[in-house]
Order: sequence, then structure tokens, then C-alpha cells
Amino acid sequence: MKQVGSWIRGRLGVASSYALCAVLFVIGAIHSPGFASASNIRQMLVFASFVGFAALGQTLVIIAGGLDLTVPWLMAFGGIELSRLAAGGMPAVPAIALVVAIGAIIGLINGVGVTWLRIAPIVMTLAMGGLVQAFLLAVGELQSTGDQVPAVAVHLASNRVGPFPVVAIVWLGFAVAAGIVLSRSAFGRRLYAVGANDTVAWLSGVNVALIRILTYTISGAMTTFGGVVLAGYVGTTYLDIGGPYLFTSIAAVIIGGASILGGSGSYWGTVAGALTLTVLSSLLPLFQLSNAGLEIVYGVVILIGVWLASTGHRLLGRLWRRGLALPDNMQGGAGDVSA
Amino acid sequence: MSSSAPTRRLPRLGVAMPQRLSWNSALTAAILLALIIIDLSIQPALANLTQIGLLVETAMPLVMVSVAQTLIVLVGGIDLSVGGMFVVANAVTVVWVGGGGGAHQLLIVAAFAVGIAMGTLNGLLVTGLGFQPFIATLGTWTIYNGIALTILPTDGGTPPPFLSNFMVATVFGVPTSIVMLVVVFLAWRCLRATRFGGRIYAVGADEERARLNGTSVRRVKLAVYGLAGLCAAIGGIYAAGADVSGTPTAGDAYILMSVAVVVIGGTSLRGGEGGVGVTLMGAMALTLINDIVDALNLNTWVSVAASASLLLVMVAGRTLVEAQLRQRRRR
Repeated sequence: MKQVGSWIRGRLGVASSYALCAVLFVIGAIHSPGFASASNIRQMLVFASFVGFAALGQTLVIIAGGLDLTVPWLMAFGGIELSRLAAGGMPAVPAIALVVAIGAIIGLINGVGVTWLRIAPIVMTLAMGGLVQAFLLAVGELQSTGDQVPAVAVHLASNRVGPFPVVAIVWLGFAVAAGIVLSRSAFGRRLYAVGANDTVAWLSGVNVALIRILTYTISGAMTTFGGVVLAGYVGTTYLDIGGPYLFTSIAAVIIGGASILGGSGSYWGTVAGALTLTVLSSLLPLFQLSNAGLEIVYGVVILIGVWLASTGHRLLGRLWRRGLALPDNMQGGAGDVSA
Repeated sequence: MSSSAPTRRLPRLGVAMPQRLSWNSALTAAILLALIIIDLSIQPALANLTQIGLLVETAMPLVMVSVAQTLIVLVGGIDLSVGGMFVVANAVTVVWVGGGGGAHQLLIVAAFAVGIAMGTLNGLLVTGLGFQPFIATLGTWTIYNGIALTILPTDGGTPPPFLSNFMVATVFGVPTSIVMLVVVFLAWRCLRATRFGGRIYAVGADEERARLNGTSVRRVKLAVYGLAGLCAAIGGIYAAGADVSGTPTAGDAYILMSVAVVVIGGTSLRGGEGGVGVTLMGAMALTLINDIVDALNLNTWVSVAASASLLLVMVAGRTLVEAQLRQRRRR
């Protein structure tokens, strides 16, 4: 019992994110019965997975103390470049692999700029985003657009295995893998060390530059893959398709309990953040809120979520423990409190 | 004895900064000069006060948002809500529906006040509740966007007539846009010379030392966030006047662009280094790139690529210069 308590206490930040998500879901389910239906939950899982893909790399980058602003343009790149390659006669599966590889290379360049050229992450990824945007604009302006998204991407985004959408299963796979890598592997431990204090990490023999470059590379690849799936779901591609995901990918990581300064956070927290944001954005229209009201509530909930995950959960935890400790004391068993 | 140590350290900080700043300013000025020469050689007709005035007018919203961003960056923060404050002020300015008369000048005052209030709210979240600036403004960004959409659901509205008149007016033959640019610069120089201006740099350079020197870091930050809100609001008001209508969704584009302008100008994202002067040059440089691309009838992607490249080149160039300086100092 004690162990369970300390296990939960160590993860109160993540737990509070899931609690926030659950509260929002229950509100939705009470307000309208269709909200908890299988089809709606499936829909939300698919939407959340897009955020989840973009936010996986973002989680690693933020834990290492960086930030990736190329997300919206790489999302767009994934779909547009895939359709372009497929229209050029390339089979879909190698085309997806190639597009994701290019995304990884763009991430790699980000990492090299941040570590070797010592350019601030915000600036480096902003500039790379600008270059990708310029490329996409050039593709749109110089060539005909409206290429078909290949069928493989469409199937990936809309097929189901039993009751579960394929993307959700893929997302779960990534989440399990990322969770294991972050908490069990040497890479994970080094990643947290780099984010917490890169000088100390470097002095204790961690290849700081390599770790950072890897995070940006993974981010580039995962975001581009997210773009491929998103394009498959939407069925067409356009330049602004990734627009919302800059905001949501960062917000999901932060609501999931990561510090923007690096050194803390987990992908399971980010999953909670992605689910919370998705439940919230499908919940708000039910209350007949206009677009404007939706944005206001969205912002307020994000601030509350971040507050809960960073400082608020500690405050609530203290209140909760005080509530538990008091009857304990009155029964005369002071041992548990002092321990 | 112990009290003399911090006072002796302070002047050294003051001497070291302008030297590094002058490198930065010279680099930015050189780029700006090069772009001016290119633009003038492509379109000689531009060498005319009215034409320059129009160019500055298109630059002005970006200039004011970037000034707001610069102030926040100087105290070691970053503001993603500048676009939100921009659109709220923009929407407030144009809700006057015309005809009825009344004191529509008050709308401008209201927009000023709303800007200061929104900036102060950011400041309270950062200084009072301990949010990271990036996260606090990430949240308020959408909140302010929502408020703007509540005030003005779609593009449209009319700004007060005197604002549109202000846009086309001249002062001794000089278009008001140029006058305003000069006024912003002079206002900054005055602010920089005050004790508050010094404190902005002190807080940005080393918060702990500023606190030990008796500066109320919270109060300085709060004032800076409020002032930034005012600047972003002025940008929104100006855009309403220049477009003779309001656009409640125009703000997002300015957010990352303002960060780019601040960096191109040479203000360090670490805080305490740089200033509004270089930001003005950076904003004009980006505007000139767009103007040159337009004049050459090139596609949009060229100007996007050129802006991103300029950002990279300036940052990489500065890193090299700094490394050189550090080596020379070591010798």
C-alpha cells in the first residue's frame, strides 16, 4: 500500500493530467450520451494520435532542453511530398519510407545547428521551418497540386482492426516503445541528464551533442510520419494542414508534466496531454460555444492543466496528505507520518 | 567592505555591453544598408519621401509587435501572445460602426488600455503564479485570439476617421509613418536612459544580481510586460488604420516573425543584450526583402526562403563573431 502510494506520488504530475482528461470526458458523457459512444471515442483516438505523433519527438526535444518549431511545416511536408512522389510513379510504401527519412534528415540538420553551430533551438527550428515552408510553396507555385494521397496512407488512417483504429494501435506501439526507452534505456537516462544540466552530463561522459541531435532527428521523422497519416485521414493535402499542431504538440507535452526548461517529462504524460486536448476540442462544440469562446476556454484549460502538472499537483497532494495524515495522528500512530 | 564589492562590479557590466552591442548593430546596419541599396537599384522611384513613407507604413505593424517582443526578450522571456494582443486592439479599434458620431477617439484609448491590461495579465502569470513565459503566453495567445473573435467575428468594421486621416497625413512634408518610426526610436532612447531602462537590462542580464542590488525584479518584469502589451496594441491599432478595416485572425503570423526580427536585429534570446534600435533595423530588413521580391515579380517562396536564410546567416555570423571576440579576449 505504501509502495503504491509513493509510486503514485512520484507520478502525480502525469496522474493529474489523466485526471483532467477523465474529468473532461465525464463532463462530455453526462452532457450528451453520444459522447461516450464507441464511434466518438474512436474518432477522438484518431485525432489524438495525430497530436501524439507530432508530440513524441517534441517530448524528447523538450526533455533535452530544446524546442522544435518545424512541426507544422514537417506535417504538411509529409503529406504533400508523399503525394508528389506517388504521383511520380513511386510505390507507396517506399515513398512513405523516403519521406520519413527526409523528415529525419531535416531534424538532423536542426540538431546539428543547435549543437555544433550553437544556434538557439527556437531560432534554428524556426529558420528550418521557414525553409521547408519555402520548399512547399515552391512546389505549389511551380508545379500542379492536387495530387492524390496514396491508398496505403488512407488505409493506415481509416482502417480498423476489430474495434480499434489502426493509427491508435500504431500510436500505442510508439507510446510503449517511447516509455520503455525513456525509463529503462541508457539513452533515456542520458537524455534526462542532458536536459537537467548539460555541463554535468558532459563532465560525466555523456555525448551531449549526439543525444540532442538524436532527439531532433526522431522529432523530424515522427512529425513527418504524423503528416503522412494526417494526409491519409483528410484525403487531400494543403500547406496549412499542420498549422494547429505547433500549438498542440507543445501544449500536450507541457500539460503532460514536462518542464519547458528540460530535464523532466514523460511520453505517457504527453499521451495524457494529447488526449486532454482532443477531448476538450470535441467537448466544447457540444456547449454551443462559438469559435471564439472555444479558443478562450481552450487557453484557460491549458493554463490550468499546466498549473496542475507543474505546481498545482504538489499543492493538492499536500492538502490530500494532510487530510489523510490527520486521522492517522489521532489514532496514535505517528510512525507513518514521520517516515 | 562587503557593500563596495557589488557596486564595483556594476560599471564593468556597463562597459562590456555597448562593445558587444556595437558589433551587433554594425552587422545589422550593414545588412539593412545592403538591402536598401539593392532595393533602390531595382526601383529608383523609391527614393522619394512618399514612397518610403508607404514602405514604412507596411512595416509598422511588424515593427510594433517586434518592439513588444524585444522588451520581453530583454528581460529574459518570450511572448507568444503578441499576436493575440495585436488582434484584440485591432478589433477594438474598428468596432465603431460609423455615422452616429460620439467620442470615437475613445476607442483608441480603450485599445491602449486593453493592450496594457493584457500585457499585465501575462506579467502576473509569469511573476505571480510562476509560469514560464513561454507557457503563460502560449495559453493567453489563444485566449486573446478568442477575445478578438468575440469582439469582431469576421473581417470588417471601420476605424475612427481621424485614424485613417492620420495614416495619410504629413508633418512638414514627412509622412506620419516615418515620423512614428522616429518617435518610437526616440522614446526607446529616452526609456533606455532612465533608471527603469537600466533595470530592464540588469534584470535580463542577471536576475539574481539585480535582486541583490535592490531591484524589484517582479515589478520591473510586470512593467515590461504591460509596456509590451501597449506596443503590440499600437501595432494592432496601426494595422486597423492602414487597412481601414479589422482582421481578427491576422495576429498569428506576427508571432514567430517578431521572434525572427528580434534575433535578426541582434537582441540575445538569453536576455539583457540588444535593444529596440536594432529591432527596428531588423523589421525594416525583412520588409525590404519582401519589397525586393515583389519588385522582381518573384514567387512568394523566394521571399520566405530569403527571410529564413537571413535569419540563419545573421545568427551563424554572430556566433562566429562572438567566438572570435572571445578568443581575442583570452589572448
